[in-house]
Amino acid sequence: MCGRAALLSAGIGLSGCLEREAKEQNQSTNLTGAPGKSGKFIEGSSGGDAETLNWLLASDATSFGYIGLTLDGLMTYDNNFNTILRWMKKDIEVSDDGLSYTVTLRDDLEWSGGKPVTSEDFVYTMKNLMFADWMAYSYAGDWKEEVDGKSVFIEPGVDNETTFTIHRKTVNPEFLYTVTDLNVYPKHIASKYEGDVKTFTQAPELNDLSYTGNLGPYRYKEWIRNDKIVMEHNPDYYGGKVKGEPYFDEYIIKIFGTSEARHAAMEAGDITSTGLEPEQVKKFKEMPSVQVFTVPTSQYQMMQYNMRDNGWAGLKDKKVRQALTMAIGKEKIIQQVRLGFGEPAYSFIPKTSPWYDDTGLLKLGLGDLYNKNKAKEMLLDAGYGVRENGEIKLVDKNGAKIKLKLITNTGSKVAESTAFLVKQELGDIGIEVDIKLVPWETELRKYYMNKVPGSDQQPRNNNGARAVSEEPWDLILAGHFVDLLQPSGSEIFFATDGGLNIYGYSNPRVDALFKKARSKEALDKNVRKEVYAELSKILSEDQPIDFFTFPTANIAFKADVKGIEPGINMNYNYMEWYFG
Amino acid sequence: MSLRTYIAKRLLHAVLIAWGVMTAAFFLMRLGPNSPADKYIASLGAGHNVTAVVAAIESRYGIDKPLHEQYFNYIASLLQGDWGWSFGTSMPVMELIKTHWIYSFQLVLLSSIFAIVLGISLGMFTAVKKNSRADHIAAFFSFAGISIPHFWLGIMLILIFSVKFGWFKTYYDTSLPMLSLENLHALTLPVFTLGTGMVAGYSRYVRSAMLENMGKDFVRTARAKGLPERTVIGKHVFRNAMLPVITIIMLDMSGIVFGGAYITEVIFGIPGLGWMSLKAVFADDYSVVMAVTLIGAFVTLLFNLLADIAYIYLDPRIRYE
Repeated sequence: MCGRAALLSAGIGLSGCLEREAKEQNQSTNLTGAPGKSGKFIEGSSGGDAETLNWLLASDATSFGYIGLTLDGLMTYDNNFNTILRWMKKDIEVSDDGLSYTVTLRDDLEWSGGKPVTSEDFVYTMKNLMFADWMAYSYAGDWKEEVDGKSVFIEPGVDNETTFTIHRKTVNPEFLYTVTDLNVYPKHIASKYEGDVKTFTQAPELNDLSYTGNLGPYRYKEWIRNDKIVMEHNPDYYGGKVKGEPYFDEYIIKIFGTSEARHAAMEAGDITSTGLEPEQVKKFKEMPSVQVFTVPTSQYQMMQYNMRDNGWAGLKDKKVRQALTMAIGKEKIIQQVRLGFGEPAYSFIPKTSPWYDDTGLLKLGLGDLYNKNKAKEMLLDAGYGVRENGEIKLVDKNGAKIKLKLITNTGSKVAESTAFLVKQELGDIGIEVDIKLVPWETELRKYYMNKVPGSDQQPRNNNGARAVSEEPWDLILAGHFVDLLQPSGSEIFFATDGGLNIYGYSNPRVDALFKKARSKEALDKNVRKEVYAELSKILSEDQPIDFFTFPTANIAFKADVKGIEPGINMNYNYMEWYFG
Repeated sequence: MSLRTYIAKRLLHAVLIAWGVMTAAFFLMRLGPNSPADKYIASLGAGHNVTAVVAAIESRYGIDKPLHEQYFNYIASLLQGDWGWSFGTSMPVMELIKTHWIYSFQLVLLSSIFAIVLGISLGMFTAVKKNSRADHIAAFFSFAGISIPHFWLGIMLILIFSVKFGWFKTYYDTSLPMLSLENLHALTLPVFTLGTGMVAGYSRYVRSAMLENMGKDFVRTARAKGLPERTVIGKHVFRNAMLPVITIIMLDMSGIVFGGAYITEVIFGIPGLGWMSLKAVFADDYSVVMAVTLIGAFVTLLFNLLADIAYIYLDPRIRYE
């Protein structure tokens, strides 16, 4: 859940999870060169407004982004994978047996009104809110472990005013990143609404962030839905004591209805920063009043192969999947769809992750392994073709032309362009692709969720090997996020019983490796590195999905914004940016 | 039947119709395939008890009870002035509407004034100058105005007047005082965007209605009596021509508030009711959709009633007693 930690750490929406080298930072430098505080920082967004500021109820990245402006979180990471302490006095201490995690808070954290933030608040938040049945916290599963075949919550306990320890019964080295994501409510306020989810949902103090005291660089000022959220400079910010107060008077996130209007606002200088679509980058890079940074992201674009019973039978054969991947050029996708903004992907771990290792990766779809003739031969060998006059003609087992149904969601230019490129590439080897664009909700219900036919199962994303979706499909285009520090979270996509393994992939070795990544053995980082290298290698060979690209993002800022450090988590020090 | 009784009767009808619309909307929305719990299900990984999570989320949103119970609960809350809680925006629905209606209202009001004044003037002028060069030019611009989509016009206006000339901000700034010249200035481009199509439409309606009346006997009589042309056109032709135009304008209003203004709001970043309604529909934010549907129905019926009342003053022959 490192991705959420990053989202909680800033409002700019660039999430990133970075290498954790426990390098304690003694941040004693001041804002060298920064003039006195003034000015408004306006971030343009067209991704929709947040749902709530009551963080336990949030399920969208935008909500976490807003909240993060007022609640720093325990820690964050810089672009070089160093730990930056926020609310913690020192880094999390993990016991040698890997079963205890001790968090030591700063002693100068305060709620609004001056009450100190204590370890009791954190333990209360976990035990009485996050783990409570009545709350049904969406991410409660991250705080559970399997003990004697039962799924139970971990045990937090107060050590003293500023220290608490979380005890586990089983070892999971990557649980550390779940702990770093921990947020908090003031016990004295939240307890008034405890026990009734409706009351808690509508609690005014929890919905207007009026409790956040000195816990973040900004304070809530105003939120006009579908328009903007305004956070004002927090003069009491605990971080201001060593780093100087945040420079901007206000941090505003302005919502635009269209990306065209957002780009126009950036061009006119009406906003300070915004993300750019690939086709806009060249124009903005040529503007002297704007600076553009191209930075890596923690997601990959891919195409899922349906290996369930309602997909094309050929997709159950690894050789067939490899052949299809070999026929689709990754560089073409990067250049034609993303206009050069991306890196080819062969597995789920990108270069930016400390766990990246390309030893033995099968790099299908690039260089010599982007070969349509070879792909046809592989399909012929797999029994899906005939030779006619020396040419390979791809046909199904019954002699008919191979036709595949490709599903993707409406409203995404990138998805649509990629779909047509896939159609063209597979068309070149004689496979017909029928593209179906559907709204996301329809895609979710009719193509993602599945159940065993005739059973009374409730549809979900993975109901076992025999389950099938309501509508048949062969290929689905989508994007996944990967936790760069904790890639074992991707188990949900690749483990046999993974909650988002919609395509019915199963490889016992992959299951075992994901388990190993969370075992006592993996406390040794070298072991974990080996585990991830092998996982990447197997997935690049098995091709449950065609890993297309790791896209890069382009962010425009007014040229006079100083202090930015471009990188995967470039917003880690946003409270230190200033107009120069 | 007195006018007062007539209005009371129409208002009663309005309540019944609004209730019908509300009931239909209530059941149609809940019979749809989507649920507010969808987004949670989509993000759940292994180990989660989907059934329990969905049940808890539905309980959080008050949609876990049988449909008829939900319906009666909703009616009961409504009668107590409680329009529900918007889980898509985390605030009471009435508070949400109170915050947003004004943005739509000022946009629609100013656009309507702009469109009515300009549309009627242009319609009268082109009717009087029928088949002249001015009439042809006006016809060209009218058809262009009707044909140009709002989203294209809005973006073009932003690119030309905001980005190139820097005369206006690229988006509407909600921090400006509502009754100020700055606010009026900020609304110039949105009003022009929304109003252009209306000007074009109204001018054609007025021209057509004027021409129809100009050939009638009472106009010829008025002219034969030696009345000045200004009186003939202004008092006799225009007043009679306005009857159908009033109906069109009144019916347009509710459609614009909840439909037409949406695109303009989206382009200029105006947080009005149109944009809010659409977001609510996509987010399955039941309480907001219900409130907007109900208010939309009322507004439509109200404008219909206003049109009927306006007839009395425009046409002395019409009496409701």
